[in-house]
Amino acid sequence: MIDHGSLTGAIGAYLTGVAVTSAPWLLTTTVLMSLRVLARHQGATAFRSIEQLLTIIYALTVVLSAPVHVVVSRYTADRLYDRRLGSIPAPLRRALAVTLVGFAAIGAVTMLVLRMPLLVATAGTLVTVVVGSQWLMLSVGGGMTSPVTVLHAFGLGAPLSLIAPIAFERIFRPGFDTGAAGYLFGFGLGQLVTLVILFHGVLRALPRESDESARLWPAFTEYKLLAASALAYYMSIWIDKVVVYIVMGHTAAALYAAVSALAWFSVIPAFGWIYVQIETVFYRRFRAFYDDLEGGAPLRQLRARAESITAETARILRGAGLVQAAVTLVALVSAPFLMRLAGLSPDAVLPFRLAVVGAALQVITLLLILVLYYFDLRRDAFLMSAALLVAEAGFTLACWALGWPAAIGYTAACALTCAVGVVLVRRRLGTLLVDTFQSQPFAGRL
Amino acid sequence: MGERDPGAVARVITSAGTVADAHADTRDDARADICLLVEGTYPFVPGGVSSWVHDIILGHPDLKFSVVNIGSHPEAYGAPRFKMPENAVALHRVFCQEARAPALDGRARAELTEQIRLTRARADARTSESRMLAAFRRIHLTQDASLEVIDDLASGDLSIAELLHGRASFALFSELAEQLAPDAPFLDLFWHLRAMHVPLLRVLATPPARAAGYHAVATGYAGLLAAVWSRRTGRPLMITEHGIYSRERDMELARAEWIEDRRPGVDDTARTWAPQISPLRRVWSRFFRTLSRLAYQQAWRIVTLSDVNRRKQLDDGAPAEKIEIVPNGVVLRDSADASAVADASLGEDDAGASEVIPLPLRRPKLRVGFVGRVVPIKDVVTFVKACDLALRSVDLDVRIIGPVDEDPGYVARCRALVERLGRQEQIRFVGPKPPSEIYGDLDLVALTSFSEGQPLVMLEAYACGVPVLATDVGACREMIEGRTAEDRALGASGIVCPVASPTRTAEALVRLAHDERLRRRMGHAGQRRVTNYYQRRTMLASYRALYGALVTS
Repeated sequence: MIDHGSLTGAIGAYLTGVAVTSAPWLLTTTVLMSLRVLARHQGATAFRSIEQLLTIIYALTVVLSAPVHVVVSRYTADRLYDRRLGSIPAPLRRALAVTLVGFAAIGAVTMLVLRMPLLVATAGTLVTVVVGSQWLMLSVGGGMTSPVTVLHAFGLGAPLSLIAPIAFERIFRPGFDTGAAGYLFGFGLGQLVTLVILFHGVLRALPRESDESARLWPAFTEYKLLAASALAYYMSIWIDKVVVYIVMGHTAAALYAAVSALAWFSVIPAFGWIYVQIETVFYRRFRAFYDDLEGGAPLRQLRARAESITAETARILRGAGLVQAAVTLVALVSAPFLMRLAGLSPDAVLPFRLAVVGAALQVITLLLILVLYYFDLRRDAFLMSAALLVAEAGFTLACWALGWPAAIGYTAACALTCAVGVVLVRRRLGTLLVDTFQSQPFAGRL
Repeated sequence: MGERDPGAVARVITSAGTVADAHADTRDDARADICLLVEGTYPFVPGGVSSWVHDIILGHPDLKFSVVNIGSHPEAYGAPRFKMPENAVALHRVFCQEARAPALDGRARAELTEQIRLTRARADARTSESRMLAAFRRIHLTQDASLEVIDDLASGDLSIAELLHGRASFALFSELAEQLAPDAPFLDLFWHLRAMHVPLLRVLATPPARAAGYHAVATGYAGLLAAVWSRRTGRPLMITEHGIYSRERDMELARAEWIEDRRPGVDDTARTWAPQISPLRRVWSRFFRTLSRLAYQQAWRIVTLSDVNRRKQLDDGAPAEKIEIVPNGVVLRDSADASAVADASLGEDDAGASEVIPLPLRRPKLRVGFVGRVVPIKDVVTFVKACDLALRSVDLDVRIIGPVDEDPGYVARCRALVERLGRQEQIRFVGPKPPSEIYGDLDLVALTSFSEGQPLVMLEAYACGVPVLATDVGACREMIEGRTAEDRALGASGIVCPVASPTRTAEALVRLAHDERLRRRMGHAGQRRVTNYYQRRTMLASYRALYGALVTS
């Protein structure tokens, strides 16, 4: 689309970028927020506890499935690259079985710890299993199916996740004296539809023949740094909220979580822009470097290619920065209005403004991590993710100790990690050529 | 002189635990008088050079020898093909490459990646410039073969890991790419440079074998290691070159399929004319030539087999005053130790004892023998083609006599050619035979090699009164036409043909098949030539004098 050179082509490309990068969580978040509004409108008080439960379920599944997600993605990409598609179905089947059993156990234990009633616990466990399996399917589907399948799955599942809870709440409320389980069963049904569509799409993309001897576990040992990086990054999304909950209590944590969620919406345009730029210009330069390398280019040409990648990375960083800066500026100015619109108190304006700045820095940090992933610099990516995690926890605690708003900690952590990331990426791209060659083993050994 | 069971050598090989994976079979700890350094050959590979080494050890029972065999990798060689004489006190094995690594699983790959990262960090933390790396730069860029370069190489201050993963070595590789092959595919050059220097580092990391003097039976890796050891220990070095190492490598490089003649962005496959020759061949060629020059530089004496080879060595930078010509020799019937040599080579080499026998009688078919290993450098393909052409006008009984296990692919190619030409009846592969069973049954020996030093096969044939048809390589021409005026007066003992020319070789075959008188005359000339100039005792006397000077130096 972007290559057409037309305005509609460019808009279409960026909207696709937005859809692919943000649609699943955007739709899910929208459903949850709409449910809250609808439930309040109908006077259904049970939803308040369910909203909290769903937040915990999502946090758990996102964090715990992140290592699996990234390793399965990488395993799938490797098999696609070496054209051994037959090695995907068997490991995927086994991974799905483990996911179903594993998340059932995790869900049950969580419900037990939260002392949920049996019906709610059952529904909560089912939702945990469904959401966890969705992540697994997404990790495979991202590489093997078209973005349309993913959009289709979430596009159909989201409305059902909105309608079914309301309907189920009415069914369950009279008979069981609780509407909470109804919300969960209804929401779970919608998410199950999403899972089934994703599953169907992945099944269609898988080859008929399957290498039953193929194993996924060695990929976990080979890509353990990738897995650790994903775990650290996804933990960093929640760690500040958990810290606030522990040290400042439920009310402060609820406000902080709401403000953070709203601030995160500001990164959507930058996400779209990054997706399009990474998948088009950057990818082409990246491929050109490796194609030239394998195609027998002389040293001067490889140097030029490496320099063009560095230049392109700098351009994307600047571009993402500009797009994000524009959105951030608008969000900062319209913060009071946005808080009123979201039904939050005026006290939320300052934390929101800080969180918006933090989100802007975090999206740049994420871009830098993506660049490191692109060049398979797993250790650096892990260090950045771990730094973000530790800094968020530490700075949030420090803010509490100093009596400052928690969002300052989040913003400072993102700023620090972003700065570290810029230095790291700059250094790595500066030595791209020597790193590419001198990291190669010789005859399967050092 | 007693000899050992060849199997015993393999059984007692133990790792010396050095970086270079040197293996030593040491009979006793006593220092050897002479340390012989060979590349690939003795005692694992049959052939002329191995037989010569064996003869040298046997011919000097009063001296203790150790043998350093530099091989490609541990799996490349089977059991020894020669019985080690009692005065060979040690056999050291040095490998240019490690044994093949098994395929890596996910965990092993991750561990390897981490090891490489740590190695890179250590290598890049180094503050002083590596003298070995500086020597590599001088070898490639200026072809510097000074003693300072040998000293730098002897410093041993660069590990293989540093070479493979360090920033300094990449800077050198980049500089070499810019200076030597700016348009070459860098990926290819990079791997070639790795493949070039890793064996060198592995070999040079071997601690010196204790000896009064070193004798390298080639230049190349063996010659360089001997030169470095000679610098380290202060013991003298002597070199004997049978073929000229750098020239043989050039020939291999010219035909090497592991060097791709491609240009970036250009599809050469559609061209009808020859593609651009890769500059990598030149890089390799210069490298080998400089290795030879380094060995020449450190050598106290350089022994060559013929005047032709002497001139090539001079061209390659060998100092004239160091070169001495000592031709090979064979044992004639009345020689006292003929039987020892004849039995030494387990019957699979193409050299050994020979005896003077009556001239062959006229037979209906001309019995032509190719005697040697069936390997590409012997160009058996040209021999087969020439025989096929000659068979169209004369009756020949052709035998290809020699080991067929060194290059099975090439052997298969030769057999297929014979089959395709429909000459299975006339051209037969008879395998290795003891020398005593070869020449009495031949009217003519033919050698179509791309490269030779001074082939023992020719001397053996002469000793039996059999004329030789040989290509114009190494010392073949002077062995056929005579080296000195007195020698030339004996007359031609065969015919010299151009290299890789089936037509000219076939013409010579036809001429000799038709002219029995000419064959007899040539056979007589050959007998007189070997009696006058190529006797083993003469060769051993020369080496006895050289070793005496070397050991007491």
